[in-house]
Amino acid sequence: MTVEDWFRHDRLPHIFCAGCGNGSIINSTLEAVDSLNWKVDETVFVSGIGCSSRAPGYIVTDSLHTTHGRALAFATGVKMANHDLNVVVFTGDGDLSAIGGNHFIHACRRNIDLTVICMNNQIYGMTGGQGSPCTPTGALSTTTPYGMDEPAFDLCDLATAAGANFVSRWTSYHVRELTRSIKLGLQKPGLSFIEVMVQCPTNYGRRNRLRDVEAMVSKMRDHALLKEKYDRLVAERKPIPEGSFVVGTLTDRNLPALGVRR
Amino acid sequence: MKLVIDDVRCKGCNLCVMVCPYHIFQEGRRPNRRGVFVPELDRPERCTNCRLSQLYKRRLCGVCQTICPDQAIKWVPEAKHEPHKVVIEY
Ligand SMILES: Cc1ncc(C[n+]2csc(CCOP(=O)(O)OP(=O)(O)O)c2C)c(N)n1
Ligand code: SF4
Ligand code: SF4
Repeated sequence: MTVEDWFRHDRLPHIFCAGCGNGSIINSTLEAVDSLNWKVDETVFVSGIGCSSRAPGYIVTDSLHTTHGRALAFATGVKMANHDLNVVVFTGDGDLSAIGGNHFIHACRRNIDLTVICMNNQIYGMTGGQGSPCTPTGALSTTTPYGMDEPAFDLCDLATAAGANFVSRWTSYHVRELTRSIKLGLQKPGLSFIEVMVQCPTNYGRRNRLRDVEAMVSKMRDHALLKEKYDRLVAERKPIPEGSFVVGTLTDRNLPALGVRR
Repeated sequence: MKLVIDDVRCKGCNLCVMVCPYHIFQEGRRPNRRGVFVPELDRPERCTNCRLSQLYKRRLCGVCQTICPDQAIKWVPEAKHEPHKVVIEY
């Protein structure tokens, strides 16, 4: 198979806005899946509700488009019923960390053998741009017209603290690195959490003085700080550049996992 | 191989313009019939994948294809071997 064979071409072009990065993440995921020679019949994609959660609808495998926030609950069920299936979850920041927050921490605690790919656009995209738990402080959204005054969730720290085996963060600009990281995550027994920072030009960029896709993507590119470099800066007690976020493999360990293929 | 943009799928986001190391994609100047400014290709035969994928039997580079959120970029086999002069700037 090639990557193209994993798409449901009759459903394309997809509903994502022009310049939305969700499509790039689907490409990276399918490239990783394809490189592992997984079988269509043994792979299941699960998602909740949101723009990001539309992703499984464009993939040929069996999939579950579930209720808002409950993708992980359904995925846990699929994996426990049949350990031989490869289960991949697509979710959004609101889906995963707001309404689905409890499912998220417990899936990490159980360390169940899933791969969770969170498309973090820092906003509720589908419903018109309300603030999510990942909206950065100061950012404008329809529910924070004077700027977000709450701190944002660090989903990777949360997943690590709750017990996930593999945690990494990339952006939709770093597609090569992202593909490699997703591949590592897919191979890892236990819960693999991959957070992908992604541009939502329609509902985030437009309100936050990032007028076009290029502005959004360049901002992500310029503020991504490699884990290795971050560690070096910390060791040398140098200041961390303002507004930057760490990318790379953040956690890679082998805690006991649930539902691993025998 | 020949690089082509599917103008039914392309939404004109210009992400390919940002990432191609050879700057093969140029921002589109004219809207197509759906009102999308599909990028124009500047001497696409310079693309690494166009030149070498058949020799190596795998996709080379391909970063535009991976980043294109709308799955609009692909390579198609050329009708027959058409020799062309390739100028590569470093
Ligand atoms: C139980 C329930 N509550 C609220 C909604 C409305 N709703 C639909 S999508 C969405 C937010 C999705 O945001 P996110 O998960 O960040 O995904 P994005 O669209 O940004 O990719 C909400 C609140 C719903 N569908 N179901
Ligand atoms: S609203 Fe945002 S997240 Fe949803 S498709 Fe458009 S750009 Fe993507
Ligand atoms: S990245 Fe894809 S959708 Fe965007 S302009 Fe290029 S070909 Fe069109």
